[in-house]
Amino acid sequence: MIFSKKKITTAYAVEKCKKCGMLRKRKFTEGDILFSESSKCTSCDGMTSIEKIFGESI
Amino acid sequence: MSDDTNPIMMLIWIIPIIIFVFYGQRIQLYITSAEIKKAIKKLDGFKDESRNELIDYIKKNLKTKDDPIKKIDRFLDYFTIMPVDMDPNGIVDKVRHTVRSREDYTRKHVKLLSPEISDFELAKVQTLLEIASSLQMIYKIVNHMYLTAKKQNNYPLILPLQMLLPFIMEHAEAMKEAIPAFKAGQPVGDGIGPMVVGKMMLDSQKETVAFQTVLAKTEFENRKLFLLKAEGPSSTVGRPADALETIVSGNKLDAIIMIDAALKMEGEDSASVAQGFGAAIGGIGIDRFQIEEIATANNIPVFSIVVKQSVKEAITLMTKEIADQADVVRSQVYEMIQENTKQDQSVLIIGVGNTAGVPQ
Repeated sequence: MIFSKKKITTAYAVEKCKKCGMLRKRKFTEGDILFSESSKCTSCDGMTSIEKIFGESI
Repeated sequence: MSDDTNPIMMLIWIIPIIIFVFYGQRIQLYITSAEIKKAIKKLDGFKDESRNELIDYIKKNLKTKDDPIKKIDRFLDYFTIMPVDMDPNGIVDKVRHTVRSREDYTRKHVKLLSPEISDFELAKVQTLLEIASSLQMIYKIVNHMYLTAKKQNNYPLILPLQMLLPFIMEHAEAMKEAIPAFKAGQPVGDGIGPMVVGKMMLDSQKETVAFQTVLAKTEFENRKLFLLKAEGPSSTVGRPADALETIVSGNKLDAIIMIDAALKMEGEDSASVAQGFGAAIGGIGIDRFQIEEIATANNIPVFSIVVKQSVKEAITLMTKEIADQADVVRSQVYEMIQENTKQDQSVLIIGVGNTAGVPQ
């Protein structure tokens, strides 16, 4: 419906680099678990861990 | 002739009055019925949707020996008869026994469906089963009340249902929307307590101290900290009261700090943080009773920090606002420890809530 109020929630994960502290928000992917090591930092050679997992509605 | 003395005009006024005097309740019943019927249709949809999601999940993710549909339908119809409370003495133990027997039974029988199931998947299926059976129960009760009122043509009988319906629908919608988050193993709003304590536990050694409940010991400014939460990332609330009993039997505690999600009042901001006294723990009341008993017997003050949220926020995927409060709550915990304890004292910090998607 055009006037439907139904909101769509998208899940996100926020990664934090353990070395430089840089935060990066990306879409949640299956298997993501809070506090687990996620990927290599894009600005240094440190590893990132998942700091937060949350949903945002639009 | 003016309008007020015209007999036709008088009839136009009097007939509706007579109709409303004799058939008013019945008309109201029809109007209310239409509203309730719409809600019942919605509830029926939620019930079927949750059942199908559960069956789909089991078929896709578990290696079941036989067709699980029959067994699942039987689980969904399970009921719990609460103990008689005419004599309230010892009622908490009886309730605990009944509730835990049901949990153990469900766990055992889900395991029978697929013997190789991991504890993580088992907890997930148990939660999905709980959601589906709650939605089925809500549908049955609402439908029963509606049909009884209709059968008896009794308008006052439908009034309580009409008044409660918006709250019932809010709960039912929240439960239906909780399914994707639990299926994906994502943290829910209620998991803010475990999220705060889980991060504090990260670099410490963990031990299982009660069923599905873990403990870690650490230090903070010459105070001994006992960190307690349900064992994540499974969907469970653990047994914090049993764990407290074990901890108290071997240690002297000087304070307990509980972190939990709390239902916000209308008008309150979502994700606002508040501090208070007393055991912040929801559920049926058995854990709260046990914690209060132990705290009173050992003269341990109980402090609490809560993050306010709606019913829907508490059981669906954690919102950004709630997740952002984790660091604020953590700093408030440390502040609370500094303000309420002295050096060389011991503090127990409990992260209360469902730890789905929140490890330690």
